Amino acid sequence: MEVSVIRSSSQAKISKTELGCRDLRFCFGKSNDKNKIFSRKPNSVCFDSQISRFRKAGLRFTLKAVHSDPILESKSPATSKSLDRLRLFVGLPLDAVSDGNSVNHARAIGAGLKALKLLGVEGVELPVWWGVVENEMGKYDWSGYLAVAEMVQKAGLKLHVSLCFHASSQPRIPLPKWVTKIGESQSSIFFADRSGQHYQQCLSLAVDDLAVLDGKTPVQVYQGFCESFKSTFSPFMGSTITGISMGLGPDGELRYPSHHKPAKSGTITGVGEFQCYDTNMLNLLKQYAEANGNPLWGLGGPHDAPTYDQAPNSNSFFKDHGGSWESPYGDFFLSWYSSELVSHGNRLLSLVSSIFGDTEVNVYGKVPLMHSWYKTRAHPSELTAGFYNTASRNGYEAVAEMFARNSCKIILPGMDLSDEHQPHDALSSPESLLAQIRTTCNKHRVEVAGQNLASGAPGGLEQIKKNMLGENPIDLFTYQRMGAHFFSPEHFPSFTEFVRSLSQPELHPDDLPSDEAEATESVQTSSDPNIHLQTA
Amino acid sequence: MAAVTIDSLLQNPTLLFRPKAKVMLKPPRSLDCSRNRKLPLSRGSCFCSFNPRRTIHVVRASSSETALIGNFDTSSSDDIFYKDIFPVKRIEKVEGKFFIRLDRSKDQHDWQLTVGCSLPGKWILHWGVSYLGDSGSEWDQPPKGMRPPGSIPIKDYAIETPLKKLSEGDIFHEVKIDFNPSSEIAAIHFVLKDEETGAWYQHRGMDFKVPLVDYLEDDGNTVGAKRGFGVLSGALQQFSNVLLKSEASHADSQNNSIESKDSKNKNRCLEGFYEEQSIVKEVSVGNLVSVAVRKSPETGKVIVCLETDIPGDVVVHWGVCRDDAKIWEIPAAPYPPETTVFKNKALRTLLQPKATGNRSGALFTLDEEHFGFLFVLKLDDNTWLKFKENDFYVPLLGTSSVPGQYGQSDITTEEISSKSYTDGIINEIRNLVSGLSSEKSQKTKTKEVQESILQEIEQLAAEAYSIFRSSITTVPEEVVSETETTKPAVKISSGTGTGFEILCQGFNWESHKSGRWYMELKEKASEISSLGFTVIWLPPPTESVSPEGYMPKDLYNLNSRYGTIAELKELVKSLHEVGMKVLGDVVLNHRCAHFKNQNGVWNIFGGRLNWDDRAVVADDPHFQGRGNKSSGDNFHAAPNIDHSQEFVRKDLKEWLGWLREEIGYDGWRLDFVRGFWGGYVKDYLEASEPYFAVGEYWDSLSYTYGEMDHNQDSHRQRIVDWINATNGTAGAFDVTTKGILHSALERCEYWRLSDKKGKPPGVVGWWPSRAVTFIENHDTGSTQGHWRFPGGKEMQGYAYILTHPGTPAVFYDHIFSHHRSEIANLISVRNRNGIHCRSLVKIVKAERDVYAAIIDEKVAMKIGPGYYEPPSGSQRWSLALEGRDYKVWETS
Repeated sequence: MEVSVIRSSSQAKISKTELGCRDLRFCFGKSNDKNKIFSRKPNSVCFDSQISRFRKAGLRFTLKAVHSDPILESKSPATSKSLDRLRLFVGLPLDAVSDGNSVNHARAIGAGLKALKLLGVEGVELPVWWGVVENEMGKYDWSGYLAVAEMVQKAGLKLHVSLCFHASSQPRIPLPKWVTKIGESQSSIFFADRSGQHYQQCLSLAVDDLAVLDGKTPVQVYQGFCESFKSTFSPFMGSTITGISMGLGPDGELRYPSHHKPAKSGTITGVGEFQCYDTNMLNLLKQYAEANGNPLWGLGGPHDAPTYDQAPNSNSFFKDHGGSWESPYGDFFLSWYSSELVSHGNRLLSLVSSIFGDTEVNVYGKVPLMHSWYKTRAHPSELTAGFYNTASRNGYEAVAEMFARNSCKIILPGMDLSDEHQPHDALSSPESLLAQIRTTCNKHRVEVAGQNLASGAPGGLEQIKKNMLGENPIDLFTYQRMGAHFFSPEHFPSFTEFVRSLSQPELHPDDLPSDEAEATESVQTSSDPNIHLQTA
Repeated sequence: MAAVTIDSLLQNPTLLFRPKAKVMLKPPRSLDCSRNRKLPLSRGSCFCSFNPRRTIHVVRASSSETALIGNFDTSSSDDIFYKDIFPVKRIEKVEGKFFIRLDRSKDQHDWQLTVGCSLPGKWILHWGVSYLGDSGSEWDQPPKGMRPPGSIPIKDYAIETPLKKLSEGDIFHEVKIDFNPSSEIAAIHFVLKDEETGAWYQHRGMDFKVPLVDYLEDDGNTVGAKRGFGVLSGALQQFSNVLLKSEASHADSQNNSIESKDSKNKNRCLEGFYEEQSIVKEVSVGNLVSVAVRKSPETGKVIVCLETDIPGDVVVHWGVCRDDAKIWEIPAAPYPPETTVFKNKALRTLLQPKATGNRSGALFTLDEEHFGFLFVLKLDDNTWLKFKENDFYVPLLGTSSVPGQYGQSDITTEEISSKSYTDGIINEIRNLVSGLSSEKSQKTKTKEVQESILQEIEQLAAEAYSIFRSSITTVPEEVVSETETTKPAVKISSGTGTGFEILCQGFNWESHKSGRWYMELKEKASEISSLGFTVIWLPPPTESVSPEGYMPKDLYNLNSRYGTIAELKELVKSLHEVGMKVLGDVVLNHRCAHFKNQNGVWNIFGGRLNWDDRAVVADDPHFQGRGNKSSGDNFHAAPNIDHSQEFVRKDLKEWLGWLREEIGYDGWRLDFVRGFWGGYVKDYLEASEPYFAVGEYWDSLSYTYGEMDHNQDSHRQRIVDWINATNGTAGAFDVTTKGILHSALERCEYWRLSDKKGKPPGVVGWWPSRAVTFIENHDTGSTQGHWRFPGGKEMQGYAYILTHPGTPAVFYDHIFSHHRSEIANLISVRNRNGIHCRSLVKIVKAERDVYAAIIDEKVAMKIGPGYYEPPSGSQRWSLALEGRDYKVWETS
């Protein structure tokens, strides 16, 4: 529903107030007097007075979501039709800025930006690395990223910034040296698996609020980083920078690092492992078990879970029938494991949304698409990654609700994946999982933005197009990622074709620009059918 | 917000990625990180060539941060209230050579292709091969054995091999490729790449191509048969392959069949060659201009101290302003030494060299009431250094220099220099590109898309690709410099001459009557040359059945109605003396026989070339030839020669060579080339190596119900196809343009002069460099008048062809008529502005009663009774010529 509202509104340049009202009515629909709502002046009063109520009711998201997009859109009326309709972003190279704070391949990026602008792409996504900026604790060097932002601005493109609090192995961008150094003496700041192996690409969520970083908690450090970013980039906020993704875990995604090594393409991914074995996680588990009156359950993770590369049936935990996951213990453990992840997401997203709440920038978080084994009843890949989503339980409810609470939007990767191209024996279904998450998000009115997993997946562009233009369209998509392959003769022509095909479809009459007055009217008359259409 | 619009992107692509030298600024580490702290930003790598750097404006010399500003002469830093360093970019040209050599390797068995380059740089040969029987322009990877050590395969179609110096002392970086000539490889294709800058060196936007099998040699003729160098024409073929349509593939298959037939008894034979071209690399050099302003405590005056490390004479073109409007004023004296007043608008001061180092500078003493100091730097007449296309601005009031103030925080400079040449090349490429796309849509009827934007995108993507690909590792780039590829100096090709040719048709249909035309023309030689013509076309010289010369009989008998062979030689000599090149009119399509065969048909030849009826095409029943079918249309008045016969071609090549040697002809006007395949023409031209050649491919335009069609694409396509078949070795008369001019002028339908892509509608719109534009010749006009140009409108026609690209040809009758001075004036405008066969036309009006165009941004013209004046924008236009229904302007 949100999607539809914003799409049409961005075309019609409806003012903020009116939009607000429109959504308020959605939330409180029948109890409100329609006429009152749509009379302009009293309306803004009621708008304000209601905000606090919504906050308490955990419904602020609606306002917030409406709040940002149309305003931004109306600021840039010069953008072409296709852009108003579907905002396509392209990711810049992960190492656009690496060590030394200079822009790598500046000339190539410059040429690339120009090409993208000419193609009609809306903007670019820029990964901003903790390990690049904060070389010393509390000291931030943004110069390389400022240079990129300026290039993007000069090119007339928008910028979506991804704040990365993790490390990357390819290209190699480590965590800040001082963090790594702390980790050397204090490995418990990292996640660990059952065999005690640490995952050193990001901090364990269990230390979020522990003062493990030279007397500061990771959350405080993230906060300092975000605030420095905000003030440094304030000239770009809302104009060039339209969105920010908060890094939430491995690869920036809200999940446990249930796979330490990146999956090899074409092979069947194993189920992964639970990551609850670092000291702090175990402490949390212990407390939780004791509080639940089952102290013995708090001594460790499931003993009968398979290892990383194994199939679900190789041990008894994930078995489709009679697996421990369905036992009371299983429920106990999985509830805890998943709720820790959601709380972690909540901590970071509430932090970042409070920092950026007064700007016109949208805040996003990335939720992974753990599609392997989706066709089994247990969905083991999702369980190990921290999503308690099984055949009988929608684990994304809590996640979507958490995003809604923080007025954040969700980025979903993997929109280029189609079931057809998955290994048959993997029992995987990216499309069904995507549909499930999106439905859940719709229900909680969390807007979803899309991303592809990798450029060059077979049939990827068609699948993206399907997702973007289908009956439940995405209006913001980030295509990953600029680089040699992206511009190669094998890839770039098809990408060009893809972008052009996105702008080809005829505009629906509702999407055509119209006067504000007309638009207001059409809102009144067309809003109800819209709702039904979208929620149906 | 969106600072750059798409329009400007398209217009000015060269300026977009100007290099940026990075000035490494170490941010002070000791700063505490309060969040509003503005760090000095090293935003060195920026879009659009800017190198902005936030500088710190030290108010009253507040801290040690001044150290950042560098080694500036700060004798009394206490008083300095403004200080700034402007990084500036200059382009320095580095010239060098690169060569291509094909020769036998030491063991005399294999062959070796060597490519070398003398410019410093990290040169990579990016290359591939094509195999016999390949169609299209795709590359393949060469066989493993052919790859020199150190080669890296690029996908499955190319190889990259670094060029190396054989020893330290060598000037050239070289790469050698050995190959076996008996392999199936048809050609080696390559481009040269400078890995340091990502710049590609191509041949006019195409690959270099070294054909390995194109030539089929007669066994007895290998000695002394000089070959045209294959690269240039090969490159054209490359282009042509894209442009080529069905007819061409038809031609290809013919070619193949001939080759296979011939190769049964002939060996294919390679010839070595060596070709050297100059190559210019533009290297951007970063310099600094530092400015400090201080107040003299004694006098209360403001002293501006300007210094730079730019070598050579640097003139500061400067003034002051009173307010933010930044209107230039000349301040009161005193001025620094070496100052002159420029047009009462500004002052010019030559910077004086400093005693230390390579710096120069000046001190400007000003009254304190001035608001700001404005300047630009002038390096030479064409090179100015500006600040973001604006003046450099230095605030003089101490209070105004607040840190972070807009205007100072965004310091950028860029060079505007005379780039017309590179721009011209880019324009040419674009010209070709859009010609290509216009054809595409014509052929495939695809929907209207902005092909040019897509092309732009593709170019940018290719640029990005080459850089990303070449540097997978992440090395921080300290200095990113960009080079503009400047093409080697004008290359003469038989299709274009120098590109600046203007052709005179030196006879009419009556010229044979006096019997001493050669002598009459000789007297006019210097006169014709003085009008600005560079090439003259003489009448057909051979013995002929008809007096005009177009029914040749004995090709080696050059005594004709125009004069004797001795007189001809004398004429050619005089023409050479006045600096003109001479074209012989050669009739290759047909030849009149000396004798009858047994059936009483005239098809047996005599004289030195005593061919029999095998030399005559088989498909004209009048002449009962025993040769193959004609490869073109038939001319029915005489036996058509069968050019598919090896002995015929050999004889004709020999004859052309003899004409070159004996008479001194520089090139050819080829009669009735519709009659045989253009591929044979290519063969003849490669054998006779003319300076210039033009073919007469004259067929009818398209008419519907007696009215000429607006779209003459199929007509020009046929001409382009022919040029293409000659591999671009010859130009062709632009009959299409003449036809369209007829209708446009006669019927006042000037809209016809723009095709649906906004380009000229004739051959000149598609392949300008090969279009020889004309409005009249001995057939169409003169006393024959087969297709006479609309009377009284000739000067409009000349105003068109003499201002437009293509190689214009002027008919003798018009030169020696009352049009003479007007034609001479048009030619001088053309020469003065350097309009050439590849100049870029921008059609600004094509309406019922007026057509107007701007050529190379230098010449504006209009024809037709309607009104047009060039825009009064940044360029100032002044009227250069005016005549009946035409006007020509040039930039002043």
